[in-house]
Amino acid sequence: MQVNILYRSSQTIAQCWLQPGESMLAESGAMMGMSTNVQIQTQSGGMMSGLKRLFGGESFFRNTFTAHGGNGEVLLTTPLCGDMVVLECGRSQWLLQNSAYVGSSYGVDVKTQGSAKGLFSGAGLFTLATQGQGQCIAGSFGAIEPLPINGDLIIDTGHLVAWEAHLQYRVTKATNGWIDSFLSGEGLVCHFTGQGMVYIQSRSTSEYGSTVGALLPPREN
Amino acid sequence: MQTEIKFNPDFAMVRVQFDAPGEQLVTESGAMVARDTAVQMTTNMRGGLGSALKRKLLGGESLFQNTFTATAPGQTVFVAPAPEGAIEFVDLQPGQELFLQSGAYLCSTPGIQLDTKFQGGKGFFSGEGLFLLRVHGQGRVWFSTYGAIHTVNIGQQYQGYICDTGHMVAFTQGLSYSVNKVGGLKSLFLSGEGLVCTFQGQGRLWMQTRNPGALASFVHPFRRVKVQTN
Repeated sequence: MQVNILYRSSQTIAQCWLQPGESMLAESGAMMGMSTNVQIQTQSGGMMSGLKRLFGGESFFRNTFTAHGGNGEVLLTTPLCGDMVVLECGRSQWLLQNSAYVGSSYGVDVKTQGSAKGLFSGAGLFTLATQGQGQCIAGSFGAIEPLPINGDLIIDTGHLVAWEAHLQYRVTKATNGWIDSFLSGEGLVCHFTGQGMVYIQSRSTSEYGSTVGALLPPREN
Repeated sequence: MQTEIKFNPDFAMVRVQFDAPGEQLVTESGAMVARDTAVQMTTNMRGGLGSALKRKLLGGESLFQNTFTATAPGQTVFVAPAPEGAIEFVDLQPGQELFLQSGAYLCSTPGIQLDTKFQGGKGFFSGEGLFLLRVHGQGRVWFSTYGAIHTVNIGQQYQGYICDTGHMVAFTQGLSYSVNKVGGLKSLFLSGEGLVCTFQGQGRLWMQTRNPGALASFVHPFRRVKVQTN
């Protein structure tokens, strides 16, 4: 799979080229267009892994795209305006904030992490972890800033996109007291330690959603 | 007339400078950003009430269009669409046609005509409304997208192309299309992909990189829930 990132940084899409017979996976609903020789298969990977993914903030189903009888093209997009980054998986592996996953090459397995740490990360209930060789495409809300960490860094959980799996991290309150932490509007933060790369996004989906949602008329259910 | 599209693909705007008095620009109602004082504005239902109503009800365009007419040389008008995104223009010759997704029309020179085209059963399933706008005549038409514009030349680069109905913006007359479910019925309900348009033939397809429906479904869960009192 070869990926070309177009229309950065706010209207970004990923143009993915597949060789004959090659497959890739994508988040359900991410497909904007594709060449006619690409076939889609919907698979949940079993009830449990589908359910786990649902709790990961991602849609229940991932689709497999396969090119038949020639090179294929698939265009992937995100629901909100933002950027994308291609994560090379193999020598290093990545953890993704649950809604950042857009698509991945067939050799990369993206699993939901159900650890207690994931549970409290505030970046959703679960984080996603890559395994295997290939590429994983992560999408953001807002612009993406790559932040190389050498030592320690504190990042708001709502602004995380992806980070290298070998980095140590713990989720803490933004300030010492619970009340201050609540009043500061910062909620929970991730405290990273080690050497590696973190990608952050310049906007937070939950902040945006609650700002706009509060202005809309109430819904029936 | 000199025209320029500024700020693509994020917050595009069209600037039109009239060379001579009497030159005109027709725009979607509410699209004007600014104009010089010697540009006269008139509001009308182009093509009469019947045609305007049909456009409104079936094509998703507003009932009224504004016509801007220069009364002096060197006058300027700025036009912009409602959503953030890009603007593209197409020059048409007599006999050429362009099909626009409802809501994509922004403005045009006076030689351009718009009417609605019945899509038959196809439109019912495409989720884009029953009708596409058929653009023909002679002149230039500008349309807007939500997100950036991605262009696909079918018949040259690609044998055909499949496009999510929410991302389809415009296509030229040489293309035929069918609306399909992807990957069987299961995908229709579970994959989130829903319905797609499959294009074949010779021509150009314009797509938008964002989908207003996806934004709406993102915001919806953040709305407060109405408290039932009875």
